[in-house]
Amino acid sequence: MNLEEPNELPSSNDDKMASAVEMNRIETEQEKKSNIIVFRLGEEEYGLHIDQIKEVVITPRITKVPLTPSYVKGVANIRGNILAIIDLEDKFSLNRTISETSGYTLVVESHEYNMAILVKDVPNTLSVADTDIDYSPSVVADMQGEHDYINGIIKIDDRLIILIDIFKIITKEDLKPVIGA
Amino acid sequence: MKEEELKQIFLAEAQDSFEELNRLFTQLEKNHSDREATEAIFRIIHTIKGNAAAMGFEDVASIGHLLEDIFSEIRKGKIILTSMVFNDLFKAIDKLGEMIVGIKEDKKVPYKGLRAKLKVILRNLKGEIEFEATQGGESSEEKDQALDEILSQKKELSEEHKEEILASEQPVPIGVPLAEEFKEESSDKKSKITFSDFVQVPVSKLDTLLNLVGELAIEKDRIIAQGASIGATNEYTRLYRITSDLQYSVMGVRLVQVGALFHKFHRIVRDVATLEGKKVNLQLEGTEIEIDRNVLQIISDSMIHLVRNAVSHGIESPEERIKKGKNPEGTILLRASSDKEYVIIEVIDDGNGVNVEKVRKKVLEKGLATHDALSTLSDDDIVKFIFEPGFSSVDNVTSVSGRGVGMDVVKKAVDAVGGKINTKTELGKGTTFSLSLPSSMAVKSALLFVINETEYAIPLSFTEAVISVKKSEIHKVGNGLVTSHLEETISVMFLRDIFECKEPDDLTAPHLLHRSFDEIDDHESKINIVVVSVDNRMIGFVVDRLLQQKEIIEKPLGKPVENARFISGATILGNGNVCLVLDANDISEFLFKPVFATV
Repeated sequence: MNLEEPNELPSSNDDKMASAVEMNRIETEQEKKSNIIVFRLGEEEYGLHIDQIKEVVITPRITKVPLTPSYVKGVANIRGNILAIIDLEDKFSLNRTISETSGYTLVVESHEYNMAILVKDVPNTLSVADTDIDYSPSVVADMQGEHDYINGIIKIDDRLIILIDIFKIITKEDLKPVIGA
Repeated sequence: MKEEELKQIFLAEAQDSFEELNRLFTQLEKNHSDREATEAIFRIIHTIKGNAAAMGFEDVASIGHLLEDIFSEIRKGKIILTSMVFNDLFKAIDKLGEMIVGIKEDKKVPYKGLRAKLKVILRNLKGEIEFEATQGGESSEEKDQALDEILSQKKELSEEHKEEILASEQPVPIGVPLAEEFKEESSDKKSKITFSDFVQVPVSKLDTLLNLVGELAIEKDRIIAQGASIGATNEYTRLYRITSDLQYSVMGVRLVQVGALFHKFHRIVRDVATLEGKKVNLQLEGTEIEIDRNVLQIISDSMIHLVRNAVSHGIESPEERIKKGKNPEGTILLRASSDKEYVIIEVIDDGNGVNVEKVRKKVLEKGLATHDALSTLSDDDIVKFIFEPGFSSVDNVTSVSGRGVGMDVVKKAVDAVGGKINTKTELGKGTTFSLSLPSSMAVKSALLFVINETEYAIPLSFTEAVISVKKSEIHKVGNGLVTSHLEETISVMFLRDIFECKEPDDLTAPHLLHRSFDEIDDHESKINIVVVSVDNRMIGFVVDRLLQQKEIIEKPLGKPVENARFISGATILGNGNVCLVLDANDISEFLFKPVFATV
């Protein structure tokens, strides 16, 4: 599974690239707009690239799986597929606003992962010019240290949206408890 | 029946190869030095030849053989293709196509003329008698033709060429009246497009189909259950039948013959035997037994491991065998047989067998069990230790096997498909590993029960009995619990104790397995226990409520929970809920793990 953004384009302005080697994965041409799915976690707004998301469904009944990290709420049946349900508020240690019995679930589109993430409300889509996304590593790097799942920060009007890469959230570290001794 | 099926598969493959050859030849005609195309042509012809020879289609094999000769020369760069030869090559390919159709329709196609022709070409080319580029004009024109045009144009060209070929070939004496035969050929040659009777489908598509059928089966259950409550069962018999038929048809599509895997071992055995300086004869039995393609894929690595092990550790060197009065050539038998829902695959060698004493020593060395524990075990049980992680009974690591990884991986793979592995060994006589594998991964019978208001399933292949005992009949022994069932002492565990753990470390908490037991106050209260048997060990799982016995379609859990402990997969119930399927092997491993036992 390629963890990089599928819409990556070869960029011509090399000098600009050089400064942000790590974070320029989704850097595209200046005029290019990205569609971002925006949802609330705790008091913050988070965004995902639209092509990481398959659909939004009403949260189905969740079956707990023993000995998984607490942010893995369990597994659920979504259109005949069994998907792991992830609670990012738990994962990011944010204020809990999401309920498991009401609310919605974002199904993540991936060949590698079978998972979905809990959200409170139906998310919005937002078309963002790439110039509005701040990819600079200085903003991102010191946010979590070892984690690089934050792709960038989107600033539009008064809003601040944290753009994350869903596939980088689940790391090997996190899976240790799952894999067990 | 089997023969017929093989023929069908051969024909389908040959048809594909034929089309591929046509494509490659046109490509090669445009660019004579296209090495890739040459290589591909050689490979395909080689395969056709081999397959045809194996099937006993002498005509195809003989033409294939000649073409192979020609292309082997071209490949080596010994001869150079000229435009003129192509017409004959195309003719040869067409003939090959006709022959394939001929086999299908059970019709003989004359081919002797062509064979002679190819021989001539080969001889001419080899003798470095390059054809004069007299046809240069035509061929360059031909080069520019689009793919399809070449095919139709060829017919006309062949008329002209025939004379020229005959003229140019005068010096070579040929015993066959070429002209007549070629004339006859060209007259009944039709530009017919044939389609294969087989469709190649990616497995992922079948998986999707099976998923859908699984959903349908679940819906069917739901509707029938609803219907039963209003007393309308008969209404649904047709629905029931059709969905069942559909389900079994889809499952049938996924079945492949074990031979697909077995035949690959000729080479593996040969290679390992050569490396080890041993003589080994591989025998196959029951290659026509059918098994789910995914099961076969998952266990294929394990099979390779078992077979390599058998050659490397099982079979003795020829000298040693002669000393023992055995045939210097060892035998490895791969045998498949079917037993109800299961396919038994055995790897049997007539080598030295497993030395139980050595295993016993190793187990102690590695600290896999205590001396006392070992002394109570039978030889058969001790042999099972070879499947423990980190165990390897061979002192020297060879390039073939013996790195101490492997046998545990074999067991894991077999466990993963819900199978069992048994070992029978006799010192000096040989070893038999028998894998009992589900013939279809799709559907298995399972027992459903409830713990903590959550449904769980356990495959019926593990369950022995369902019993109900009073609390007073369960006793604390060490950190665990035991009760007796049919005069036998069995371990008992409250699954909720381990399922409520948050961290893996919690699993080693003292008296973990006593928690739920201690919460029960009434000594007379009945406790439901599902008795399962894993590796000949009996474990009783305490359940809150038993539901039903049901055919389930187990799906593996995907990332990020694919390695969840104690769970082998999940299934979707009629009510739409996800029901986890317990991994009895893993639970047993946990329960009897030395680490835990010594806490």
